[in-house]
Amino acid sequence: MTTFANPASATLAAVSAVDLVKVYGAGDTAVRALDGVTVGFERAQFTAIMGPSGSGKSTLMHCLAGLDKATSGSALLGGTDLTAQPDRVLTKVRRERIGFVFQSFNLLPQLTAEQNIMLPLDLAGRRAERGLLRHLTERLGLTDRLSHRPAELSGGQQQRVAVARALVTRPEVVFADEPTGNLDSKSGAEVLLFLRNSVRELGQTIVMVTHDPGAAAYADRVVLLADGRVAGDLDRPNPDTIAEALRDLAAGR
Amino acid sequence: MSGVLRTQLGEAARRPSRLLLTGMAVLVASFVVYATVLAQQITRASMLDGLSDTPKAAALVVTGKEEVGLTAAQLSLIEMVPGVTAAAARADAGGELAGRGLNLTADPGSGPLARVEVSKGRYPSKVGEVAVTPKTADRMGLAIGTTFRMATSHDDQGNPGKPRTLTVVGLVKAQDDYGQQAYAPQPAISALSGEDSFYQVELAVAPGQEAQVRSAVEAIAGPGGKVRSGADVRLDEVRSKADDVDDLFAVVAMFVAIALVAAGLVAASTFRIVFAQRTRQLALLRAVGAGRGSLVGALIAEGALTGLITGVTGVLAALGLGHLVPVIARATGTNLASPGFPVLPALGVVALAVVGTVLAVLTPAISASKVSPLEALRTASMSPGRTGIGWPRAAIGVLLAGGAGLLAAYVILNLPKPDQENYDPQTMLLVVVASGGLAFLALMALGPVLVRPLLAAAGWPLRRFGPLGRLAVGGVGGAPRRAAAVSVVVALGVTLIAGSLVGASSVQALMERELASSAPADFEVTAADTPLDAKLADQVRARTEVTHVVPYRKVTGVTVAGSQAKLEANDLAMDTVPGIAKLDVKQGSWHDLKPGQAVVSAFTVDVGGLKAGDRTTVTSGKRSIEVTVAAVLPDSAPLGSGLVLTPQDLTRLGAPAGYSGLLADASGSGDAGRNAADAALRQAVNGPGVGVTVLADQRDEIESALGTLLLIAIGLVGLTVIIAVVGVGTTTALSVVERVRESGLLRALGLSRFGLRAMLTTESGLYGVLGAVLGLLLGVPYAWLAVSALGQRAPLQLPGFRLLAVFAVLVLLTALAGVLPARRAAKVSPVVALATE
Repeated sequence: MTTFANPASATLAAVSAVDLVKVYGAGDTAVRALDGVTVGFERAQFTAIMGPSGSGKSTLMHCLAGLDKATSGSALLGGTDLTAQPDRVLTKVRRERIGFVFQSFNLLPQLTAEQNIMLPLDLAGRRAERGLLRHLTERLGLTDRLSHRPAELSGGQQQRVAVARALVTRPEVVFADEPTGNLDSKSGAEVLLFLRNSVRELGQTIVMVTHDPGAAAYADRVVLLADGRVAGDLDRPNPDTIAEALRDLAAGR
Repeated sequence: MSGVLRTQLGEAARRPSRLLLTGMAVLVASFVVYATVLAQQITRASMLDGLSDTPKAAALVVTGKEEVGLTAAQLSLIEMVPGVTAAAARADAGGELAGRGLNLTADPGSGPLARVEVSKGRYPSKVGEVAVTPKTADRMGLAIGTTFRMATSHDDQGNPGKPRTLTVVGLVKAQDDYGQQAYAPQPAISALSGEDSFYQVELAVAPGQEAQVRSAVEAIAGPGGKVRSGADVRLDEVRSKADDVDDLFAVVAMFVAIALVAAGLVAASTFRIVFAQRTRQLALLRAVGAGRGSLVGALIAEGALTGLITGVTGVLAALGLGHLVPVIARATGTNLASPGFPVLPALGVVALAVVGTVLAVLTPAISASKVSPLEALRTASMSPGRTGIGWPRAAIGVLLAGGAGLLAAYVILNLPKPDQENYDPQTMLLVVVASGGLAFLALMALGPVLVRPLLAAAGWPLRRFGPLGRLAVGGVGGAPRRAAAVSVVVALGVTLIAGSLVGASSVQALMERELASSAPADFEVTAADTPLDAKLADQVRARTEVTHVVPYRKVTGVTVAGSQAKLEANDLAMDTVPGIAKLDVKQGSWHDLKPGQAVVSAFTVDVGGLKAGDRTTVTSGKRSIEVTVAAVLPDSAPLGSGLVLTPQDLTRLGAPAGYSGLLADASGSGDAGRNAADAALRQAVNGPGVGVTVLADQRDEIESALGTLLLIAIGLVGLTVIIAVVGVGTTTALSVVERVRESGLLRALGLSRFGLRAMLTTESGLYGVLGAVLGLLLGVPYAWLAVSALGQRAPLQLPGFRLLAVFAVLVLLTALAGVLPARRAAKVSPVVALATE
């Protein structure tokens, strides 16, 4: 089997937050969604971010991905501080250096599966790396589904198309936002297994936000957030240690 | 019920701007309808003042027995009736001066009953003096001080009496100036005409004595005479002219009705989109127990509210404009009456807006209420729009298309044969309109199915253009129902415009052809009995005021190919007459006609069974010649002839050497050049039995009338186009709102703001492309069909450049309509967009 080593995997942190603060609104109704988060995500590692609702895990991801602007602090992708960049640069960063997988798949209904996968490359005016598209679609079991439109695909298939779309640009980091939230357990397991394998085989860096301890157990590391702060860090987690940590978190430590 | 209604109306109250946006088309339509009503008011009120010829001071108008009129004796009796302060007897005389008629009309010239007013010189005071209108002075060379001789009386057989000497002593202003009017007091006119009867006597009466005077005058007028009040006479005169105004506005009303249909279509498609956006909310209401019926009721109530608010807004806007225009017009010196506030029409327009909107909202409301309660529980996703249409709709569409085809086939099969009598173009035109209407309904029904193949063709160049083009084409094709709904409205506008343009250019070509044949030059000099000799033609050529002098000969009673029909042949050198250059041919070419060749009219071809290239015999009396048909004309040959031959051939047919007439153009331009040429011609050919006809006047009138007509038609059709563009704008705006998630995703995947704007603008331009293509496909053939059905043998024209311009302007307009919504979509941050449900 071919492997595609990520050339950027030589150095350690692929993406990191330094004292990141994000405030929504102003005055009395201001909400501090992120309250000084400092955390790094290593290259070629699968990290899960967990925490109760409102803990700031989605906001953290949006800021790290250049989708949202932090109020203060830095969001570093490789050597670039995304907080200081204008929209034009952020657009280019998203297009070339970041991949996304969403809970609700977010495929364009009017495009075929293949067109959806190739969309980020299309937008960048680039071509796919030789063999990468074939490798991805084979491993995701999509080879005979490429000419179908999203409406003709099952939820699992749609999410696998979304995963292929995120990986086809060989991004420095893939952000996955509750990727299994809309899937049955079997389809969910397939997607998670594939994500873990792409870290092992392709050296891909993946950051996943999830509620589900079972899903987080596929990760190499779990970062726990509560009230906009880092509240814990588990290495080589399993469902039991994760559940225990979440219980502690809910009990107020 | 009330709960559901409250939710819906609460939504409307919270976002009034969206309500206005939804009803924008209705607003524009209400505005247009009420503005039309006001325009009619303004036109009527402004025209009534200047319509009547009868002076305001004329309290009574007396007419005598038919054919006889009132006598001088009766007039002197009437003048003596106590209470009559002034009497103006109307009589006229007339004669011919240098081949042109001059009317002499009796008028007091001053006082309350005068219809003319002296502007220069003085009013005639004795027999032999006349005053003329300015145009008459110019045209007929009758400046103040001119003395001329003219026969002014005629015997019972119409033969002119002995000429009288007349002198022009003044210029007068009359209500209408036709260029052949002279005025003098009644006694002078009676002396000139040698008759002592009057067709009408107008009386001014001392205040309060009208009734007495009336009965006294009635007694004098005797049986067969009639006395009417001046007010009645003026009212009658005004009415007949006001009817013209109303007729004009009846035509306007038809176009406004089409615009209303367009507005209804736009409103229906907008409501569909608005309700689709609220699917989740509607599903939620269903989930908590709202019945389908109450949902429909609430949605319809929302539609009625939209209609009410936009209708009132439109009426108020029109009212504002209607009262502003006369004020501005008065400031610039044009006197326009104010329209007032016609309340009943205003209420009618608002009612129309409400009813129309409710009708438009009906089907969208019913289909929206069919939402499953489960929809509320589903996570928002980018579910694709339904692509196909159900079989009932397809069946209806096919039926409608079939009906349109059958009607069109009927028209084609029953197109008038050449010179067919009893042909009724009105019925045929109605059938064409009905067929067009059906075709349009078919288009509405089948639209979603047609969008994809059309898009595949129209979007091909865009798709080569990179991912943005592909996405735009995909975005439009992804929701074919929405695309079809908008494009159909654009298509309606384009159909009407294309139809008007094609129709107008066909009629224009027809006119040019007729003018080339009937009025090929500015002037025609014709000899009645004795032919013109060559010397006279040279005299005319020697005048610098005229140019392109072309003499011709005519032979009448010519037959072709042994048929009975008597034709006229001439030997006009067609290549030397500039006005004929535009003459088109059905077959062959009329240029460089050689001996042995003939140019023949359509009628000649019909009676002789000929076509271009055929050899045939032309006979005149005992002489015959053989000719080849060089060209077949679509209508009559120049000068109304059946065929044109070379001079040699016409001589062989026995034509005498003298000319039958000659054509000439004015050297100078404008009225001055034309008047100079007219005077020169009359001077050169002055003699008995020679007439000069000014063909140019006739041509000018037709051309300006045609131009005005086309402008009015385009203006009226423009209403529908405006509504179509408004429709594209609202659709793009709402579809952007609907697809905010999609925009967010594209931005997250790395589409720049500019890219997103470009994509959405391209999409709205694509609606224009689809609509324009559909509109041209419908409009051009139907215009051709209508032109053929007119039965005037008008040529079928394809004004390619103008149609291309319409296409380009429309695509540009629809793209512009998408600019604002696209900007708004591009401003939304991807996070917010992705979080939108």
